[in-house]
Amino acid sequence: MTHSDDVDHLAECSACRQRFAANVVPFDPAARRSREREFTSVAGKLERERDASSDVVARYLRDTPTDEWSRLAEMPDLRNNAALELMSEEVRRRLHRKPREALAIANLSASIAESLAPSQYPNVVLAQLRGTAWKDRASTLRYLARYDEALEAAERGEEALEPFVSLEHDRAVIRMVKGMILAQQERFEEAYSILADCRRVFRDYGDITRYVQAGRAQASSLYNEKRHTEAHDLLLELLRDAIAASDIESQAGIHNNLGYCAAHLGDFVSANIHFSETVAKFTDLGFTAEVPRTERGAGLALIARGQVTTGLARLREARRAFLMARMVEDAGLCALNIAEVLIERGDRSEARLLTQDVIDEFTAGGMNQRAIAAVVELRDAIDVDDATAETVHTVHAFVESLQHEFHGTAN
Amino acid sequence: MAPEAIDDTPADLRPLPPPCPVEESVFARIYEENCGLLVSLAVRKFQVPLVDAEGLAHEVFLSYLRHSEEVRDLHHWLIGAICNASRYYWRKHGRNIEQLDTDVAAERPDPRSRNVLIDLPDNIALAEVLDRMPPRWAHILRLRYIEGYSIKEIAEQQNVTSKYMQKLVAKCLHRAQEIFNGLAHEE
Repeated sequence: MTHSDDVDHLAECSACRQRFAANVVPFDPAARRSREREFTSVAGKLERERDASSDVVARYLRDTPTDEWSRLAEMPDLRNNAALELMSEEVRRRLHRKPREALAIANLSASIAESLAPSQYPNVVLAQLRGTAWKDRASTLRYLARYDEALEAAERGEEALEPFVSLEHDRAVIRMVKGMILAQQERFEEAYSILADCRRVFRDYGDITRYVQAGRAQASSLYNEKRHTEAHDLLLELLRDAIAASDIESQAGIHNNLGYCAAHLGDFVSANIHFSETVAKFTDLGFTAEVPRTERGAGLALIARGQVTTGLARLREARRAFLMARMVEDAGLCALNIAEVLIERGDRSEARLLTQDVIDEFTAGGMNQRAIAAVVELRDAIDVDDATAETVHTVHAFVESLQHEFHGTAN
Repeated sequence: MAPEAIDDTPADLRPLPPPCPVEESVFARIYEENCGLLVSLAVRKFQVPLVDAEGLAHEVFLSYLRHSEEVRDLHHWLIGAICNASRYYWRKHGRNIEQLDTDVAAERPDPRSRNVLIDLPDNIALAEVLDRMPPRWAHILRLRYIEGYSIKEIAEQQNVTSKYMQKLVAKCLHRAQEIFNGLAHEE
């Protein structure tokens, strides 16, 4: 090993850390001792709060009607760091399934964080709490496609952290969300620059998971800008980092992204390999819902690039896996994707059989009557030779919208 | 039929498994073992004034507390944090802080200057000289020639630039010489 004062080496080598620190004496030893006491005292306080708050947030959320959650900001046992950490976790947990609930919790969290007494924690910790709360609000608003508000929330988070030079990691977490919002607003250049900066910060901190996450967001931005080759190259680089960090979930996601890029670049063999790697890794991780979603996405991507036979095989595999997982709605939507291709190819009899299967499955599963009626109408149209691929596409969009409407109402 | 877009990454990460219970003494050890290193990095790698470097390091430790459960490599994290904090420090202060003359600012008391004091007749005369000087000037000379602080360190303590402090120390010395000459004349 070559010893040096390089910061990467100092992170690895205890002897060099000691040597490097040896020549600087404390400016004021008493002040340093006092700071150390403050640090351990705050550490102890945060730990005690965490121990005492293990299920407090879940309990309040469970026992309070959703439309009254904002009133929970007054509850003394929710007005601390541990409760805010748990709220952040609740936001993350509900983001995909119940985004409106996630938003209500993020709002509650921001309201509490902004109104904590300045004496409760050191200013830098208070700033972190506020930054995280605004970041959660930005994430949920982004998920709900309310991009302007999401951007505003992210910027409020940045403002909260601005006075503190030591909060570059926290700042990068917020800015990563900001970068994703900008990418969705098609402000690709700004997004790319912010995400690249976040990636550098995460690398400096040795936070490889977020480093890869920011890189994937960058690749996503490039992909949406139709810069498929650059996205592909960046993803290959990230794949190496994710493998080195033994981060299987990121590897799965990156393979999936690489599949899309390869499909766009016309390298269908490679696309199929990447999609299969994704499925294998999600299967290993036990993410059963992700497997058929990956197959379905892969099938649609391949079909769009003219690889109909391979794409259909993937869609059929996805449908089979959705049914195995009893995800009837998704299985039905997948069947409609297949039916659309079959109609396009003139294979009406199989399309007819498939729509009948969907009707039976939706009926047995007690699905929305309007969804069933729409598929019945489609089957009848196929019977009288009056269905086009566009008809199937419209029915698919309608059933999908009902799915969102249902989950929205449930929220 | 449009393909679904490349899947976006989640804005938040799955939580890591909860850590083992941590005692305050563990945090005290983290502080003791790493504070010197962080201050040294800020001072030596980024030329952050010592007083501010101590403050930066402390802020880094405090900010670590909310991340302690997710940090996998403590040293990497702390070093990354102090390096980024130092960069941000200069981004914030860069326009307001004069570029330091690092050679002069970092230097310990000049042996020749030390001799000036040694050459003074005795410690009593020194005390008399310092007593007759404005308190702040006397304090600066004590710091520089008795306690051994560098120009840069005194400048930080007095909240002035190193260049200004360098001139001020020269002025203080000149004034001390005048007072000493006056004392000798009185005798």
